[in-house]
Amino acid sequence: MSPITSPVKSVRRPGGVVQTPRRTGEGTPSRRSSGGADQKIFDIAALNLTSKEDIVRIEEPPPKVALERGKLLEEAKRVLEGAGKDGKKSVSLVVIGHVDAGKSTLMGRLLYELGHVDEKTRVLNERGSSKVGKSSFSWAWGLDETTEERERGITMDIALQSLTTSNRQITILDAPGHKDFIPNMISGASQADCALLVVDAATGEFEAGFDRGGQTREHILLVRSLGVSQVIVAVNKLDQVNWAESRYKEICRLLKAFLSQSGFQSPKIGFVPVAAMLGVNLVDRSSIEGSALTKWYKGPTLVDLLDKLEPPVRDIESPLRIPISNVFKAQGSGTGVSGRVCGGVVQVGERVRVLPGDETAVVRSIEVDENNVPWAAAGSNATLYLVAIDPIYLAVGSILCPPGNLVPLATAFSARIIVFDIQVPITVGTSIELFHHSRDVPATLSKLVATIDRASGSVVKKNPRVLSRGTSAEVEITLRGGTLSTPSVTGRPIPLEPFSVNKDMGRILVRRGGETIAAGIVLNVIV
Amino acid sequence: MKLVGKYIDKRNGSGHVTLRPEDDEDIWHLYNLIQQDDLVKAPAVRRVQNVSATGSTESHRVKLNLKIQVSKVEYSSSGGAQSSSSDQANQGSSSTPSMQSTAVLHISGKVVSENQYVRLGAFHTLDIEVNRDIRVEKSEGWDSIALARVEESCIPGRGAEVGAVVCGEGSAAFCLLSQHLTLVTHRISTSIPRKASAPGSSQYEKAMTKFYSMVYDAFVRHIPFGNPSLRAIVFASPGWVRESVYTWMTNEASRRGDKLLARSLREKTVKVHVSSPHVHSLIEVLKSPEIVAQLKETKFAREGIVLDKFFKMLASDEMRAWYGPDHVCLAADRGAIGTLLISDELFRCDVASILANDRY
Repeated sequence: MSPITSPVKSVRRPGGVVQTPRRTGEGTPSRRSSGGADQKIFDIAALNLTSKEDIVRIEEPPPKVALERGKLLEEAKRVLEGAGKDGKKSVSLVVIGHVDAGKSTLMGRLLYELGHVDEKTRVLNERGSSKVGKSSFSWAWGLDETTEERERGITMDIALQSLTTSNRQITILDAPGHKDFIPNMISGASQADCALLVVDAATGEFEAGFDRGGQTREHILLVRSLGVSQVIVAVNKLDQVNWAESRYKEICRLLKAFLSQSGFQSPKIGFVPVAAMLGVNLVDRSSIEGSALTKWYKGPTLVDLLDKLEPPVRDIESPLRIPISNVFKAQGSGTGVSGRVCGGVVQVGERVRVLPGDETAVVRSIEVDENNVPWAAAGSNATLYLVAIDPIYLAVGSILCPPGNLVPLATAFSARIIVFDIQVPITVGTSIELFHHSRDVPATLSKLVATIDRASGSVVKKNPRVLSRGTSAEVEITLRGGTLSTPSVTGRPIPLEPFSVNKDMGRILVRRGGETIAAGIVLNVIV
Repeated sequence: MKLVGKYIDKRNGSGHVTLRPEDDEDIWHLYNLIQQDDLVKAPAVRRVQNVSATGSTESHRVKLNLKIQVSKVEYSSSGGAQSSSSDQANQGSSSTPSMQSTAVLHISGKVVSENQYVRLGAFHTLDIEVNRDIRVEKSEGWDSIALARVEESCIPGRGAEVGAVVCGEGSAAFCLLSQHLTLVTHRISTSIPRKASAPGSSQYEKAMTKFYSMVYDAFVRHIPFGNPSLRAIVFASPGWVRESVYTWMTNEASRRGDKLLARSLREKTVKVHVSSPHVHSLIEVLKSPEIVAQLKETKFAREGIVLDKFFKMLASDEMRAWYGPDHVCLAADRGAIGTLLISDELFRCDVASILANDRY
């Protein structure tokens, strides 16, 4: 029993990174017979927990911190610059688009084409899906794993997969397209660097997604507001319109206008015609089905475009921030949490603080793209296995940070928002849902401070009465308690950081009645 | 609410009304009825300290009837009144949970009638709970609005009672809606492992099963489904959680042989789609056509329609809406007001009451 895994507060180590030398074993003082252990028995007894979990914990030697922070940063930098083991840069990609555009199918097929899904699984999915009369969903089944998703033939939650191209290591987040699951989609999009927009080329289907209230439109605005600056548009199901070049051109023209209007720069937008079901133009278009396409299309394939995605600059010098997007029971002992490292580096053996709350945990192991790694730096989508913490303190939406450098907790904050295309204007006191990474909380727009000129940033009008569509404004947002009867009660604080401190941690989205009404950045925390 | 006594002078509206609140909604009515500077008389328990000749102090609690001039009214929906629910518990059959009354009203102010124990002008906070008589005297006389509220609150058997469960994956809120009041009786929030969990999706399904059974237990405990006054049971959620919860509940009810629950679910259930699992999406529930048909006559529905109209007007022509007492007065002088909306909060404070009562 070493001091690191003991839950007794007095032996908790101070500071962020514990600089333990690389040798282990005899150097660690044994405290099994000391007061610390006795205390622990008391704690457990008082909590009325079984000690089963603890026995497992003792058997396992506590992980050691392998590197000093300085050395770790150097190594992380070296790898990020592309000098890693295999020289592949890693990016994360969120797959977005209107419901039934074929996002999961495209990804399922792509994973198979690149050899990440073996033949056995494919045959299994094909049989399973045709058995229930949904053979068209066979590719999507590779990502839609829960029974409910398969029954309904619709993605409900983010699926995490990874694939490698010749120059890139890509983490794929397959987002749900249905409008009820936008909270899940936001959770996924906030973990991504780039976006792959899938649109359905079939007659009427593209329009349904692109018109007002369609998810093509909403998803584009969401990912842009969450800091995604590169997008690839896969025009899917072109086989259903007989590979008509005019249709492809028309869709490209419409989307290009909307994307640049939403703030994507044109060199960072890529278009590619595909047919996911047939597997045309994913990796190549040499098959018979693709012959119609090759007549007029000479551009890159989807994989060619994916291979050129540029990872953004990673902020590895800043303190560690990991917003948790999933909590689950790990095999053996401990708890698994996954999330994107939004700043800094984390390594095995480090102690991390969970906010909100007073608990800390120790990182037992780290997994990135299904591989065990000794450390993870900003930008990677990591799964951390934590020990020395009760899972009840870990919730989706919590944030992991170093014990010496905490994220501020906020119940009220000021933000600069851009109002989207909405029907009903925003007034003071509007009930909203506030989205920050994987967390969504009810909140109130407590004050409209000023409307702002979007180009110059100067104040147009102080204390406006309403915010109508397209305006940019500075507002104050207060979290709300859960009850309707007592509106004055403020909610529990959530960890938030101003945009100026950490970009990823300072982005928020505002929704009302199932519609995203605004996106913004946190200016400063008030309370 | 029971009207125990009423004396109001026809000429100037002065006088008093004695009321006996009977459930949470009545407490809410009182909260809206009592304004600053009103005189309120109610039973109270006060700790009285005596200093004897030798200098030793003794304190004891005395029951009194105190009359105070109100300086502050506070409503709390989750007070600690356990005792008051006892008389209601007998109403339903044993398997029917009764609605527990938990709301408390705190009225603080200066004592205006002297008595043996309390000096004139001393401060006291009255805790108003159900089944305690309370006498209210209006400082500026009873106006039509206050009287209408008293009348409305005393209609027996009123209220469209709806039990609602707003749920999402891993979260559920149990609410009771009556004509004037929404009560969140219980909340469940568990963490559900998402599907991206490493060892597959079985953890998700296991956690959901556990969640469903928690919802079932909480439902049985907190929603008085067997009560004939409960007109509808609403399951509201984004996605398909409401379907799964409903299926689980009916299956579980028949498995456990709870016929009353099975029948209530079959007859009263309404499933409504809402956009978020938060409690405030109840507003969407109340706007949904299924529910509007049931609750057309309630005050909430009426106000909702007006507010909807207002927002639509605001979207089309911002300059037609004016805020604040100054602007409103000015507009009123010019006869330009079509509809005047006053928030509850504002209506309670006396500035608004002068503005609203005297001028309109």
